[in-house]
Amino acid sequence: MANRFSVSCGALATMIVAILLTPAFVAAQAKSAAAAKAPAADNKTWALPHTPDGQPDLQGYWTSLSFTPMERPAKYGNREFLTDEEATQIYKEGVQHSYEFTFNDFGDTPVYDATVYALSAWQEGVAPNKRTSLVVDPPDGNIPPLTPEAAKVREAFRRTGPNQDYADPNAPVKADTSTDLNLGERCLSFGGPPILPGAYNSDFHIIQSPGNVLIEYEWGNESRIIPLGGGPHLAPNIHAWHGDSRGHWEGNTLVVESTNFRPGATFQGANAKTLKITEYFTRVDQNTIEYKFTIDDPSTWTKPWSAIVPLSRIKGPIFEYACTENNNDAVNILAGARAADKAAAEKAKKTSGVPVSQK
Amino acid sequence: MKTTAVFVFLFACTPIGVQAQTAVQQRAARTAPTASAIPAPGQFPPYKAPHMADGKPDLNGIWQAFVAADIDVQDHDAQAGPHPEIMGAYGAWPGGQGIVEGGEIPYKPEALAQKKANAEKRMVVNITSDPHRHDTGDPELKCYRPGIPRANYLPFPFQIIQGTDNIIIVYEFGRVLRTIYMKENDPEAPKEAPADSWLGWSRGHFEGDTLVVDSTGFVPYTWFDRAGDYHSDALHVVERYTPASPYHIMYEATIDDPKVFTRPWKVSFPLYRRMEKNIQLVDFNCEEFVEKLLYGPYFKDPSK
Repeated sequence: MANRFSVSCGALATMIVAILLTPAFVAAQAKSAAAAKAPAADNKTWALPHTPDGQPDLQGYWTSLSFTPMERPAKYGNREFLTDEEATQIYKEGVQHSYEFTFNDFGDTPVYDATVYALSAWQEGVAPNKRTSLVVDPPDGNIPPLTPEAAKVREAFRRTGPNQDYADPNAPVKADTSTDLNLGERCLSFGGPPILPGAYNSDFHIIQSPGNVLIEYEWGNESRIIPLGGGPHLAPNIHAWHGDSRGHWEGNTLVVESTNFRPGATFQGANAKTLKITEYFTRVDQNTIEYKFTIDDPSTWTKPWSAIVPLSRIKGPIFEYACTENNNDAVNILAGARAADKAAAEKAKKTSGVPVSQK
Repeated sequence: MKTTAVFVFLFACTPIGVQAQTAVQQRAARTAPTASAIPAPGQFPPYKAPHMADGKPDLNGIWQAFVAADIDVQDHDAQAGPHPEIMGAYGAWPGGQGIVEGGEIPYKPEALAQKKANAEKRMVVNITSDPHRHDTGDPELKCYRPGIPRANYLPFPFQIIQGTDNIIIVYEFGRVLRTIYMKENDPEAPKEAPADSWLGWSRGHFEGDTLVVDSTGFVPYTWFDRAGDYHSDALHVVERYTPASPYHIMYEATIDDPKVFTRPWKVSFPLYRRMEKNIQLVDFNCEEFVEKLLYGPYFKDPSK
């Protein structure tokens, strides 16, 4: 629970940036997903459950953990689906191995061992996915190109943003103040929407009242309250870390439109002013919600694009995730940077023979 | 005209006021409710809550307490806040009547001394990468989870969302969230707290229209107010949320902690439904406002 946050800041930082910035985010690992899955349901006799007030029932605990890459690996060409054999193989590799993704080579660097952090117990329930990529539109399975302006912004962020350039492991960590840390390290936001696979803590809880759908993410216990009443979005001058969401039912699909994002906390660094994310939740069987999202931000991408992430049912509950109360990362990263400053000053002093002021 | 009418009705409720009823009052009566329609504070007429499709009382909505208990759950005067030389009235703290039944919290003698020490050190913040970070300072100052029942009387709204098997309360302060497990023998929600937490492990049920929430499994770090009122990890809170009108919930919490108090004690106050058109919680992600306070000692000194 609370102290889980004190695990590797490097891994966490990587994942946050992955969520917010990376074009090709590959989820990691589970130790024994098959054994941990929710009780099997007989889908032949399955009927869509409804809440007492008649909504299709999405309630329960779900995970977005997936071994499917965001964008389609080149080797699959135009193939949208894996063969059964390929899907089984990828699933087996996913649950049997641990990975640390890097920005250069996602998913192919098996150095991150989830068991070190005792995380496997939370990484239950992922199901095989036959898709070759999460992105389904454009049909080539790749996120459309950035606009030239957005490409410039992203490059600048990569060079100067919090925990700048993860592509270069030797780059010095700049941690002069807390604002040099990323949003997750600061316990400010773990991202979303959209709902994507994370390396861990991909779990969330949905409950429905007559007027609202609530999504609680395990990560930070962050939540989105989605009113169903059809009212207007917040005024443009009010921003929300997870966007301002409005939902309605189209048949058995919950459609959620989100705007009013907060600058600096958007999906993949999109433009908070122009970003609109539409999500579609459709329960397709006892243990699966088909979740599709469409990203529309004409100032960031040259056209809208969509992805489908299968959400798999897991066993609850979700515990308290007291992030800021136990944020050792912020202390240790900053204190480490000060120690590095001091060491550098000592070194400079020895080299030059000129005394340097010390704290 | 309006002011006159209100004045007259307040006055009319007293024996002396009866003698003062005049033509002015009679004229006012044509445009305002009768004196008997103004509710006496603390008293609600009998009320039956609306029920949801599943038959359970409907507590959904955005609610807020309007007491000054976050400053001090007991009776207290208004006071200057921190740094009055720059904060002025912005930073001053309102006085208020206490919410503790009987007025006094039944501390054990040594615990009362601890409460006083807490109050003196409420703004002493010393953040380390170990649990000593919790040794001093009011958790509210640090944007930490406010604990129960304090979350319910912070000067921020909160939203009750009633699902089929669980109720979730989302608090605007820090956007913190607690789950109240409502299903009996729920295989996904153990009866006992699996581990200690800031907002406790809460199980609920309805007694008539009253939502009763039983919470244990608390960390010993939360306070009840800025006055240093506190508890241990033996805290046990039983809350009762009773709908009192379409716009009110009467809230009470019984607080038991044999390590700190000589007997259980109770707080109570009304919750008010927020009625603004299109009301919704907005973000108060206070982590971003406390970073220099918490981590400033680890920032780079720009002069060096």
